[in-house]
Amino acid sequence: MKTVLAISGIVIKELYRRKDFYVLFVLTAVITLLMGSVSFFHDTNSVRYVKDIALLLIWISALVIAIGTTARQIPAERENRTIFPLLAKPVTRWQVILGKFAGCWLACGLALIVLYLFFGIVSGSRDHHWPLLNFCTALWLHWVMLGVVVAFVLLGSVVFTAPSSNATITFIVVLGILFLGRYLNQVALQQPEPLRSIVYGLYFLIPHLEWYDVRDLIIYDQNLVGWMDCALATLYAVIYMAVFLLGTWLVFRRKALNL
Amino acid sequence: MRKLGPYLILLLLLTAGFSLATVLQERVSGWSNRGDSDNVLKVLLGDGRRLFANHFFVQADISFHSGYYPSIFDQANRPKDNRHLTAKEGEPAAEEHEKQMNFLGPPRDWIERFGRHFIITGHTHLEGNNRSEVLPWLKLSAELDPQKIETYTVAAYWLRDLGKIKEAERFLREGFLNNPESYEILLELGRLYYEHNHDVARARKIWDLALRRWSEQEAANKQPDLLKLDQIAVNLAHLEEQEGKLARAIQLLELCKKGSPHPEALQKQIDELKQKLAAPPPSAAPEAR
Amino acid sequence: MEAIVETKNLRVEFRAQSSGQAKKVAVKDLNLSIRAGEVFGFLGPNGAGKTTTMNVLLGFVNATSGAASLFGVDVREPIARQRIGYLPELTYYYKFLTAEELLRFYARIFSIPRTEADRRIDQLLKLVELESARQRPIKTYSKGMQQRVGLAQALINNPDLLILDEPTSGLDPLGRMKVREIIQRLKNEGKTVFFSSHELGEVETVCDRVAIINQGELKVEGRVADLVEKHQANLEQIFLNIIGYQPQLSA
Repeated sequence: MKTVLAISGIVIKELYRRKDFYVLFVLTAVITLLMGSVSFFHDTNSVRYVKDIALLLIWISALVIAIGTTARQIPAERENRTIFPLLAKPVTRWQVILGKFAGCWLACGLALIVLYLFFGIVSGSRDHHWPLLNFCTALWLHWVMLGVVVAFVLLGSVVFTAPSSNATITFIVVLGILFLGRYLNQVALQQPEPLRSIVYGLYFLIPHLEWYDVRDLIIYDQNLVGWMDCALATLYAVIYMAVFLLGTWLVFRRKALNL
Repeated sequence: MRKLGPYLILLLLLTAGFSLATVLQERVSGWSNRGDSDNVLKVLLGDGRRLFANHFFVQADISFHSGYYPSIFDQANRPKDNRHLTAKEGEPAAEEHEKQMNFLGPPRDWIERFGRHFIITGHTHLEGNNRSEVLPWLKLSAELDPQKIETYTVAAYWLRDLGKIKEAERFLREGFLNNPESYEILLELGRLYYEHNHDVARARKIWDLALRRWSEQEAANKQPDLLKLDQIAVNLAHLEEQEGKLARAIQLLELCKKGSPHPEALQKQIDELKQKLAAPPPSAAPEAR
Repeated sequence: MEAIVETKNLRVEFRAQSSGQAKKVAVKDLNLSIRAGEVFGFLGPNGAGKTTTMNVLLGFVNATSGAASLFGVDVREPIARQRIGYLPELTYYYKFLTAEELLRFYARIFSIPRTEADRRIDQLLKLVELESARQRPIKTYSKGMQQRVGLAQALINNPDLLILDEPTSGLDPLGRMKVREIIQRLKNEGKTVFFSSHELGEVETVCDRVAIINQGELKVEGRVADLVEKHQANLEQIFLNIIGYQPQLSA
């Protein structure tokens, strides 16, 4: 466990020493504050559009941080050859994968806390309404979803050699699931066989990341997800994380270390 | 001198650049007028911004429904027009809309059933203080596509509903400046003058112009916009009736009969007006005696 | 004396790159035995199989057949690496860390207590002469400084065996001398050092025993003095003869 934590500590240090997060945060803050400062028809009651834009930017930023940070971890270790002194210590490849995963996931969590804190302050100051529990639930579900994304990108990073191709492919897949995942069963019903069975199979196979997107519930002040549903969704995400991490290990254990 | 060389070259290049810019400035304005615009979105996106305008208009509709909205996969169930955005409860457009928005059937499988805990599943409309939430999206839509007429009419409806009459007038005038041929905007502007400013003369002038514009654009069409004709003509007929110009009112009601969903009601109104017209004026009777 | 590093009939084959090609044999039935306290030089031209042998010893590559052990433990067991230090060739350490942070990271992996880690970090940074640069990010280091920080990380666990892969590669004469001095000091402290190099003069200076490998096969092994006496030539000539180098006569 100490080894895993030590490796994850390096990933977190990397996140806050690189400029990526700061650039994304400043961009999110500037656009949100700019949109929030505009007065449409001298109306001061509208707040949902600010929430909508802020949450959209937070989602994009979080995905960019998660995918960007994770995609370069193992390839950078191989390219810079730091994987050699690391594995020459009593460290197994499984621990390297777990350490990288934990580091990226925790780093995403830290970034999310900062982003949601900003969101909470902006929306609360306009709305004069502080649904903290709702924000915490949304943050938790968002973070859990990013865990699946991080594990998936980690698998991509041992399959694809170039981090850029891995990042592009995984970004498209994740966006595809977020936009289409919910409707694949409807799409399947409109297809002839055997395509119908294939699409339906895909619908049951993919991790349904769109569940964790509860932005609408926050924007429109709806009752949030119940504890039991939240716990079940977390369990579902943990299973997919385990699947992707195991897949990563199966590929990585036989992989030559040098690029 | 050797040390100064690169700086002199840099100075020379900058001078050449500035000189060339003065020559090119005039020519460039012939190629594109994008840079001349005072609209940042136009400068940034060019005409491509119109693509986003519809997205923001739909976003206003989504906001109106507090997030309960069919996706592109429920396209068949999607609201076919925007009448529900300005329809009052009990109106036929509102009832039809209620049926259209019943797109969430029973869940097909456990994934869909569980997924419904994370989305909005109830059909509601904005009310109370939240009514203004559609406005930012409509304003953005108009900024992106000033030629999208429905943006102005829908926004004017909501602004009037919120009691922001001045803002509604200003926005409709902005829309009219961008679309001087639009009878839809004129119809809304006339309503505003009549219902809120009680300026009958101005309202009549505007609706007259609206009717003219409709005739110029729609009369020759195979499928003219009869609904709008109905609305313009009925409003105008009402004004003419108030002014005692019954013949003109009858003429206008006859005009909108072809587009009305209830022609029999209109016919009844026409008959009443005809009777009024045929009857001698009340002040003339004692004189005759 | 106890064998610290031992290989028995070690054979490593790599899969062919394309279907028409034969398997590449990187190491052929290699038998090596390095005893405690020895400085052992592992020589050979590029592609001879030196790094592959080291990779097997470190558990990076699995042997096709034969056996390899460190301190009597099979190299496939991670625990075998508890008492070793390894300096790879040309490594670019995490550039966003300082030397101190890098060493602390490796110390955490070995579960070295905080106070002991602090003491060792001070000691090692002094040894590799990086005390003044300990708070600077590694990205600002020269190549020589990077190699020295690499040496420091290899020593963080106070290892009994050091495996150094071309430790002086790419360094200037001063840098080489410093690395040589460090190896000498480690030898004096009774550590076992197993290192590969192209620098024959350096090997001659610091090594107790050498092995020369060519095309995966062990060609010769023994004490430097014994080899010089047996072949009646210096180490460079022996090396060139073994790898089959024929000097071209000028016309």
